[in-house]
Amino acid sequence: MAWRRFSAPELSHGLWTGLWAALVAVVTIVVVQTLTADETPEGYRILFRLVGTAYVACGLIAWRRRPDSRSGLLMTATGFLLFLEPLLDRFGSLGDLTEDLWSITIIWLLLTMLSGGRLTSRVDKTLVGLFVLEFAIEALRLATGGAEDGALAGVEGLAVSIGCLGTAVAIGVRYARASAPRRRALLPSVAGIGALLLFAFAQGGELPIWFRWVAVLSLLAVPAGFLVGLLRSRLARGGLADLFRRLPTMRGEDLQPALARVLGDPTAEIVRGHPYPDDGRGAAVINEEATLVYDASLDDDPELIEAVVSAAAIALESRARLERIVTAGDDERRRLERNLHDGAQQRLVALAMQLRLVQHEIHTDPAAAQALVDSASKELALSLEELRELARGIHPAVLDHGLEPALHSLASQATVPTEVAYDAEGRLPEPIELAAYFVTSEALANVGKYARANSASVRVAHGDGALVVEIADDGIGGADAALGSGLRGLADRVEALDGRLRVVSPPGAGTVVRAELPCAS
Amino acid sequence: MRVVIADDSLLVREGIASLLRRAGVDVVGEADDGEELQRVVDEHEPDVAIVDVRMPPTHTEEGLAAAREIRARHPGMGILILSQHVEVGIAMRALVESPEGLGYLLKERVTDLEDFAGTLRHVAAGGSALDPQVVARLLADPRGVGPLSTLTDRERQVLELVAEGRTNKAIAERLDVSQRAVTKHVTSIFAKLELPPGEDDHRRILAVLTYLRH
Repeated sequence: MAWRRFSAPELSHGLWTGLWAALVAVVTIVVVQTLTADETPEGYRILFRLVGTAYVACGLIAWRRRPDSRSGLLMTATGFLLFLEPLLDRFGSLGDLTEDLWSITIIWLLLTMLSGGRLTSRVDKTLVGLFVLEFAIEALRLATGGAEDGALAGVEGLAVSIGCLGTAVAIGVRYARASAPRRRALLPSVAGIGALLLFAFAQGGELPIWFRWVAVLSLLAVPAGFLVGLLRSRLARGGLADLFRRLPTMRGEDLQPALARVLGDPTAEIVRGHPYPDDGRGAAVINEEATLVYDASLDDDPELIEAVVSAAAIALESRARLERIVTAGDDERRRLERNLHDGAQQRLVALAMQLRLVQHEIHTDPAAAQALVDSASKELALSLEELRELARGIHPAVLDHGLEPALHSLASQATVPTEVAYDAEGRLPEPIELAAYFVTSEALANVGKYARANSASVRVAHGDGALVVEIADDGIGGADAALGSGLRGLADRVEALDGRLRVVSPPGAGTVVRAELPCAS
Repeated sequence: MRVVIADDSLLVREGIASLLRRAGVDVVGEADDGEELQRVVDEHEPDVAIVDVRMPPTHTEEGLAAAREIRARHPGMGILILSQHVEVGIAMRALVESPEGLGYLLKERVTDLEDFAGTLRHVAAGGSALDPQVVARLLADPRGVGPLSTLTDRERQVLELVAEGRTNKAIAERLDVSQRAVTKHVTSIFAKLELPPGEDDHRRILAVLTYLRH
């Protein structure tokens, strides 16, 4: 889930449908008006009357994709405002007053492509202000009787020219300074530069017909730029398929570059924890431990971010699991080594020494030798017992006789009276039996260590394609599956068999460890 | 010869003590951890301290720390580090730090009483000793390349004994050859490995170890 950095009116389903309906209605009216007019207007005028369609359509799509950005709203508004001229044409001065309102929203839109439709810099505010000024002058002119050739008209034209040129320069400068993903996001603005220049020079004087055609067509470049951006992000999603295919074999250090490549953002990185980037970069939480930080303009493509974050989450989880498995293996080996070192091995070394002593004593002091042999054979018996115990931890030989007797054997060694209710027929696949055994063994060991229980029970049931093992106690509860490494290891073992391990342990109400192991009945 | 023994396993400690007493070595003190060892060593000033590598509390390499401490407080005292396993890294670190009067042996070497007593005397006299198994690990050259492969079988045998810390005289006895022959082999080995010739056995062992480590 990407951080929401902007705010914009919610685009509800009703509003979305209503706006599309409004677009269809407006287009219908304009077309009917044009067809039923006394004289057919020139081609460029017809086109101009319909340019709004492209803006509204693209604007609504953008609004839908980025509900948190105002760019979609601005583009939609620009589209509808473009329809005002043909619609209000017949209402005289009202039509004259409102026909250029779209220039304010389009300038606003082009300048704020990177900031989600918010006017942040002084330059942006000034440039938009120029067009507001132009609107005010227009209103003033109309109010004072519509003097066509006054000084006001000159000021108005100058404001528009400066505004258009300034906007074009601002966009150009930003593009030159922008990172690769920001340049992609700026594409509709850059596409608008042509229109801006044309309109800057179009103020005043009669214009040749071809110029009018070009000017109207140039307005279409902005929605076209938006569509190109959309297409490119669809293409980028093609890289996702490749990414997902490579995930299983990807090495840790290759993950970040691979994500950056799919995003088309070389600065994208995976960071520890959940920082809130204060440098205006985008951030999306991957899991409890990591966040993807990327160029904020990629928020224009939330689906791509979401997909990349999912890929990262999968990759990190499988790596974490692998690490846990390796660590568990290492811990187990270390435990075995310690047990061997402190137990059987010490005894055997001591035995070797005792035998050496016997060798010396046997002729000189047979009684002492006798005593030594006696103690040596006791040592040997102890060593054997220890080795047997160790071997059982590596692979429980008791399982050779089936899961049920093995569980009874575990129950009989538990620290509290433990009942076993076993309801499964015949032998089960070895991994299932092993998992059931180790889950029970670990759960009962935890009962002894933490639960302060009076009794426990082990229930095994086989049905619905799964073997369910449930170990319950009447102790103090409050166990946390996330805390215990033993339980975590068990969960990995169970999940490796496509099963599920759940721990229910409300404080004061005992603990239930339940493993479901898929297994044909 | 007077020794103290530090090992947290009573069985092993008693075993070593009984065997050493039988060999005529005077076991003057015993300890079951590093701290106790320092007290016993300070009190009895033995010729050699026999120290188990792993002792409480962490059971990792307390013995090494204890050896360093003894070295600092009683520079001339021999130290014999005993270990249950071959831990080449620990052995190397201990020897490279200060090889004089230092030995590293597997515990089971104690049962070869004569050899063990010999090593004790050697260490007490300021010599170095390294367990043959450690040497074998170090000399293992599975690829069969490098200067080690240029040694003759006899030279290899001699090198192993040099690395264990044995004197030319001991090597000669072991291989049943003359001391002159051993000296010749050693000179040839050192030349092949491009090592500076050394007289003292601990300087030789150090040279060989330094060579083997790289």
